[in-house]
This record gives sequence, structure tokens and C-alpha cells, in this order.
Amino acid sequence: METILELKKVVKKFGSLTAVNSIDLKITRGEKVVIVGPSGSGKSTLLRTMNFLETIDSGEIHFEGNPCGYIYKDGNPVLDCQKNLCALRSEIGMVFQQFNLFPHMTVLQNVMEGQVTVLGKSKEEAREVALQMLEKVGLSDRATVYPVTLSGGQKQRVAIARALAMKPKMMLFDEPTSALDPELVGEVFDTIRSLADDGMTMVIVTHNMGFAREVADTVIFMETGDFIAKGTPGEFFSAETQHPRIKEFMDKLL
Amino acid sequence: MINSNNKLGKSGAFASLFLLFALLIFPAVSLAAVDADALLKQARDALTIGQIDQAQSLFNQVPAPGPDGDDGQFVYSRMQLARISYSMKDPGKAREYAEQVVVVYPDNVEAKNFLTSLDRETKPEWQKTLEDCKRFMPNLLKGASMTLLLVFFTMIVSPIGGLFIALGKISRMQPFMAISWFTIWFFRGTPLLLQLFFIYYGLPAIGITLSPLAAALIGLGINYSAYLAEIIRAGIESIDDGQTEAAKALGMTYSQTMRRVIIPQTYKRIIPPIANEFIALIKDTALVSTIAMVELMRAADQMFNAYFNVTVLVMAAVIYLIFTSVFTFIFEKIEYKVGVYERR
Ligand SMILES: Nc1ncnc2c1ncn2[C@@H]1O[C@H](COP(=O)(O)OP(=O)(O)OP(=O)(O)O)[C@@H](O)[C@H]1O
Ligand SMILES: [Mg+2]
Repeated sequence: METILELKKVVKKFGSLTAVNSIDLKITRGEKVVIVGPSGSGKSTLLRTMNFLETIDSGEIHFEGNPCGYIYKDGNPVLDCQKNLCALRSEIGMVFQQFNLFPHMTVLQNVMEGQVTVLGKSKEEAREVALQMLEKVGLSDRATVYPVTLSGGQKQRVAIARALAMKPKMMLFDEPTSALDPELVGEVFDTIRSLADDGMTMVIVTHNMGFAREVADTVIFMETGDFIAKGTPGEFFSAETQHPRIKEFMDKLL
Repeated sequence: MINSNNKLGKSGAFASLFLLFALLIFPAVSLAAVDADALLKQARDALTIGQIDQAQSLFNQVPAPGPDGDDGQFVYSRMQLARISYSMKDPGKAREYAEQVVVVYPDNVEAKNFLTSLDRETKPEWQKTLEDCKRFMPNLLKGASMTLLLVFFTMIVSPIGGLFIALGKISRMQPFMAISWFTIWFFRGTPLLLQLFFIYYGLPAIGITLSPLAAALIGLGINYSAYLAEIIRAGIESIDDGQTEAAKALGMTYSQTMRRVIIPQTYKRIIPPIANEFIALIKDTALVSTIAMVELMRAADQMFNAYFNVTVLVMAAVIYLIFTSVFTFIFEKIEYKVGVYERR
């Protein structure tokens, strides 16, 4: 299978704290990677390095086979020019825990914005795509309202539609349901599941083990910036093969 | 008798009828060939010793001038009579005497001024005020339109200037940060009055001479840009970082993020404090009167010094209040509009 994104010995430090500790990771096209782990283990930081929202301290990131996002001075990575970074980011969709919808734009405008401003599409074209995406997440009827009137689950689905409208090559989800009331979690997972069924490449950070087991091709357990364990859901969740640290973590979750 | 004297000069037949009547009643006076100068002297003497009645009667005897007669004594006597009557609280009589002069000499300035001020004295208070208003209004309006020009210019320039200074301050580029920091530090830290003096009187020392208007526009423009910069910067920094992240994640550049996502969200937060600054601006424009600009305050001040009439100050206050009220109203409407997306 073709590798779409590859991290090579990626290190990210905040001062003396190493949030991501020399991580190697290959993500193939269509693969669903789920990252779990305790709070502060570096999951979000790792995800954010994947679309260059964090600047790494060393290592390389390859996108579709090419080293991307950094130029190297004396072997140290320095962020590439804004133009290249923006082009890269527009090909990788990201969904945040706090939705981060643009509150001053209607639902439709939120989904059109990136297409018009970044991709330079005409308004008509962008509107058509936006309506398709809203249809996909089941929110066509809310196109003209402002985000403030939506429930948390609806907001997150709009955020997903906004990312999808850019026709990204892969999607990053950072705890997409953690800010939601329990009864709203299902509708967002349903939406992500349907994307998975469409074959979208995804990296998902979540605390929901049920969903991890159901959707993942690969599950990674991360702690203090390191991968403690990595495997298929079968290996990961079965009592015989399970890493003792994971068992401890999952017992605490329940 | 006074009337008959006047009409004599106008219509022959009518006058001679009166003359006949006068001859019957005051034979002694009308027959006497009086010397006007002697009469005036006697009248003045009577006045100095306080014999008002005597003086009045003597002044009255000064005849109207003939076709080639000397006017000095006549005008003098009648105006003296008018003033005496006025000081004795008889404005009606005073008017009659002054009118006698005007009938003979329609262009006599002294009599006309006397009548005008007599008119004023006898008019009701509201009518006087109305006339003051009419008199002061043109200059005040001219001044007010200059004030409006200064206000509009500053309202357009300072948000733009303020935005650039704010962006400079939050940028991570040293030279921009330094310029922004200095502008805010200096122009917020010194009185606007001092800045105006410096621009208008100080810059010529280094070879830059500006017209009062240019100096005023530059002074107000930079001063208000500095104030708005801090408001705008605080507004930008109050927007959740998640908004920048989301915009970046879509692939937006820094300037696209600012233009499309961050700055539009600041409007709701920065418009109330900016409106506040603009209300202060309307009043601050009065300071430019110190560098020879004639705006509303200066126009009012000039007329107040010329007429010593408080009405002009009240009018200026009313015009300022109209301006501040209208702008307050407009800003409230805008504030409501830009916050629409936050209402459920
Ligand atoms: N901008 C930052 N500056 C300094 N330290 C940071 C920053 N962002 C994250 N960290 C630190 O890096 C470590 C990893 O944080 P990260 O947010 O990646 O954890 P996480 O696994 O996503 O946790 P959570 O489950 O709570 O979201 C934490 O110790 C955190 O305090
Ligand atoms: Mg996190």
C-alpha cells in the first residue's frame, strides 16, 4: 500500500518538556489510525505536527513520498515558506475538539470559506460543493443559520463538512467528541464512520475505546511522547496480547 | 408744535395750516427769531445744573433746518432729547425725537442706531434671542462644518492607522513592533494639545511648514490611530486561538486569516470602545482652535468676544450635543448589526 504521510524521528519539545519523542509513523492511503493515551501524553501535539501547526525540533515529515514543510539549516528543521505550508495544510483536513467554527459566518459560509479564499473557487461552485458536504453530514436544512444556534453535535458535523469541502487527502480528528454531551456523541461518530466507509485516510485521537475498536485499522497507545504499543484492534484489545499499561489505562477509563 | 415744524418742510399747504394753529397757541415761541447756538448753550447749562425740564424745553426750541440750514444743532438737540427721555424711562418719547431726525435725514447713523437699540430694548426676550440665533448661525454653521470635516477625516483615517499599528505590535518583526510601540507610547502619553503645537509650530524649525488644516488633520489622525491601535490590538488578542488554528488548518495565509476570520470577529468587541473614542474626538476637535483653525469652538469664541453674548455659547453647546447624539445613535445601530451572529 502506498504511504501518504510518514513521520521520521519526529521530536517536539516545549522548553525542557519533550511532548513528542522521536516518533516514527507510516500512514498508508485509506488507513484509519486511532491514537489513545492518557492526558498530556502528546497526542494532540503529534496530530498538530502532521499539518504543521506545530514546528518540530528535529526529524522529517514526508507527504506523498516527498519531505515536506521544512527546510533544513545545519540539519535543523525550519518551517518552509507560508505558501508551501498553506498548500500542504489545504490537503489535510483537521477537526478540533472545540469545533472552532467561524461564528460570524453562517453554516454555508463556513463550508464555503476555505474553497473560496484558499482554493480560489467561484462562489457558485463553492456553494454547490458546500451543499453536497452539508448533505453528507445531514445538515442541509441548517445552511443559512449561524453556528450559535446549533447543538454541539451539529457544530462538529459542520466542522467536518468544512474540512471535507477542501477535498482533503487525509483527515485529522483531535478528540472530536470530547466536548459533546454523551447523547450527541453518536451522530458525530456516525458521520466519521461513513467517511471511513468512503475510504478516507484518517488519524483520530479519542478516548472512546468502543469507537477505536470499531473503526481503526491501527491503534496506537501513546504515553509521555512515546508509542508504548501499536497494533490492530484485535491485538490491542484482546486480553492475551494486551500491554499491561494499556490494561491499566482502560480499567481507569471504565 | 414739533410736528408742525417737521411737516412744514414737506408739504406747504398742510404745514401752513399747522403753522396757523401753532401761531395761535404759542405766539411768543414761534415768532421769536431764535439763535440755535445760543439755545444749545443755554440748554447745556441747564443740564449741568440739573434743570432737566428747562433743558428739554430749550432743546425743543431748536428749529428744524431750512433748505440750506445747518443740521448740526437740530440733530444734536433732538438726540439729546431722545437720550434724556430714554433715561427718564420714556422710550416712546425717545423714539419720537429720534424719528424726527430720521424724517429729515434718513441716513443719519446716530439716530438709526439709537432706534435700532431702542427696538431691541423694547422687544420681548424670546424675540431678542431669536435674532441673536439668526445673527450667530451662519458663522457657527461654517465652524460646525469644519468640525465635521475634522471628525469624518479622523474617523476614516484612525481605524486604518490603528489597525496597522496594532498589527505591527502583535507581529513578531522587531522594526514594526518598535515603530508601533513608539507611536502608541508617544501619542497616548502626551497631550493632544502639545502634539498639535509641535506639528504646527515645531515642524517649521526642521523645514516642514504645514497649513493649520493639514497640521490639525495629521495631529488628530495620528493621535486617534494610537488610541484605536490599543483597542484593536486588544480586540484581536481577545479572539480565541482556535479560530486562527482552524483558519490555518484550512490553508489560509496570515493575512487571509486576519482579514476573513479574526478582524471581522473583533468588530463587536471594539466598536463600543471605538465609539467612545469618537465621541471624545468630536469634543477634542475644539483643541485645533489653538493652531489658528476656525472650527465650531473657535467660531463661538470669536463671536462671544465680539458681542459678549452668552447665546452663542449655548448654541455651540447645542450643536456639539446634536453631533454627539447623532453619532451615538449611529454607533448603537452599527453595534447591534455587527453582533447579529451572536443572537440565537
Ligand atoms: N503550547 C504549549 N506550550 C507548552 N507546553 C505545551 C504546549 N502544548 C502542549 N504542551 C505540553 O505538552 C504535553 C503534551 O500535550 P498534548 O496536548 O499533546 O497532550 P494530549 O495527549 O493531547 O492531552 P489531552 O488528552 O489532555 O488532550 C503536555 O504536557 C502539555 O502540557
Ligand atoms: Mg489533546
